[in-house]
Amino acid sequence: MLRKLQKQTRAFLVAIASLSLFALMTLMFFDVVLRSAFNMPIEAATELTRCLMALVVFAVLPIISTSGGQISVDLLDGVFHRLRLVRIRDAVIALVSGAALIEPARRIWILADRAREYGETTEYLNIPTYLLGSFVFLSVLATSLALIVHGIAVLFGKHSSEGAKQ
Amino acid sequence: MTTAIVGFAIVLLLVLLRLPIAFSMGIVGAFGYAYERGGSILDERGLKATMSMVGRQIMDTAQDYGLSVVPLFILMGLFVNKGGMARELYAVSNAFMGQMRGGIAMATVAACGGFSAICGSSLATAATMSKVAMPELRRFGYSDSLATASIAAGGTLGILIPPSVILVIYGLLTETSIGKLFMAGIVPGLLGIVFYILAVRWTVWRKPESGPAGERASWAERLSALKSTWAVLLLFFLVIGGLYGLLDFQPLNLAFSPTEAAGMGAMGAFVIALCRGGISFAGLRDVLKETSFTTAALFAVLIGAQVFSNFINIAGLPQALIAFVTTYDVPPFAVIMMIIGIYIILGCVFESLSMLLLTVPIFFPVVVSLGFDPIWFGIVVVVVTEISLITPPVGLNVFILKGIVTDVPTATIFKGVTPFWIADILRLALIVLIPTLVLYLPNQMGALGH
Repeated sequence: MLRKLQKQTRAFLVAIASLSLFALMTLMFFDVVLRSAFNMPIEAATELTRCLMALVVFAVLPIISTSGGQISVDLLDGVFHRLRLVRIRDAVIALVSGAALIEPARRIWILADRAREYGETTEYLNIPTYLLGSFVFLSVLATSLALIVHGIAVLFGKHSSEGAKQ
Repeated sequence: MTTAIVGFAIVLLLVLLRLPIAFSMGIVGAFGYAYERGGSILDERGLKATMSMVGRQIMDTAQDYGLSVVPLFILMGLFVNKGGMARELYAVSNAFMGQMRGGIAMATVAACGGFSAICGSSLATAATMSKVAMPELRRFGYSDSLATASIAAGGTLGILIPPSVILVIYGLLTETSIGKLFMAGIVPGLLGIVFYILAVRWTVWRKPESGPAGERASWAERLSALKSTWAVLLLFFLVIGGLYGLLDFQPLNLAFSPTEAAGMGAMGAFVIALCRGGISFAGLRDVLKETSFTTAALFAVLIGAQVFSNFINIAGLPQALIAFVTTYDVPPFAVIMMIIGIYIILGCVFESLSMLLLTVPIFFPVVVSLGFDPIWFGIVVVVVTEISLITPPVGLNVFILKGIVTDVPTATIFKGVTPFWIADILRLALIVLIPTLVLYLPNQMGALGH
């Protein structure tokens, strides 16, 4: 049940990122063509681009962070394997990374909440900016919690670590 | 300055312990910033200021309009791959060079150069070309070391010949014209192709059995292969032509910013792949998923690097380095040589983008204060980064090859890469000693481009 929910959430987040990316490409294309051929640029193109970029990046951030998708250097993996420290190292890395995101997540929530209080909106489409801020907050918080859970699971042997898979 | 150096050392240590690079730079940058602001890493006011900066940085970086060029160029590269254009480039290079001794390896290098003109990533170039070229190189009995090395080295050209994701990020980071940077990458990129071809010649001269001659193509076959590259040329002229205003005439009126060029390139490559039946719905889904994953990972590094860069700046490292160079009257050339040395050493450990993000905020102000051209320095940095892609023990392009051609030991690839590595060092020396090689084309641009 839990695994199924996890899989569906993952598919949903990938779909958000993929659709946003495709929309970004299409938007850019039509903006250039309409501006060049008909002198009718899409005025909201810049703000839409900024929103779509945030959706692409933050929709999949929790997924890449817990599936070894973050860029890292595996130069000393052999040493950790020999010392049988891979599991502990990977658990510590996940826990430290997860803990490091708690305070930034709280800060992003404050920024989003402030934007809501002030009634900030985008220039052309009047999209409330707190919506995007809340999405980024949820993504960073989800990444943080997922990393902490992942770290605990790796520590107690419920989940194989990235280094151990290699 | 001491704080910044200690911070830098801790980042290196954390990276070696396999903490993701984004977190290594972000955590050290945040605590370092708090220390500089409050006098202690646990000072409440310092930590509050830091978290304010980190929160703002996370929000701003992911919504940066200029950075949208990154996912779009990655997307373009993946669509190009689906459109079968790498195969056509390889066929035409092979038709002209294949009959020479070592010719198929030379054709591989030339095809990598051509592919780089429509793809902005070295890893994507190496991965794509290894699938296309490796079967042919094996069919003609090329040694594993020469075959894999020519692909790994040729693949590095992806980040130098425009379009280039790394040059875009350097441009955004240093507020240097991306159009001029792209133009500046052309001659060093072509030099790279020539030097790599010479490295192949040298290898087959030393060991003739490592690169036997292939079949000679007739002129009719050559012309037919040449004609099939129209899609590559079309895409290249769409992106580069639009960027430099070459398509700005009635009724097209096409003139793009780098971001728009990336969007047009991605859409162009998508349409070509679609028309050729190279992309199904599942294929499109995979491409979009892969691009979004790569983008998120790159942006995580970017955010971490911005936090670290704020710490480095508030700690005054660039200013201290400038003061040191001025006080001790260090010759500018010696400074450049030291910087290049540091890059080559860091390149043994760091992935290319992380290395750039970590070092440019420190070195760029020093280099500019010494009177060097920022465009020239950008190309030097990218060429050194290219070298790092084939330098042991990390050499990412080598590991990309190893991931695809699993039966060749990593040591064999690194052994084969040695002549290409030396060719790279010679090219770097040439670019450093004769900056005109880099600056001639951008200086001719005038008001063209963005």
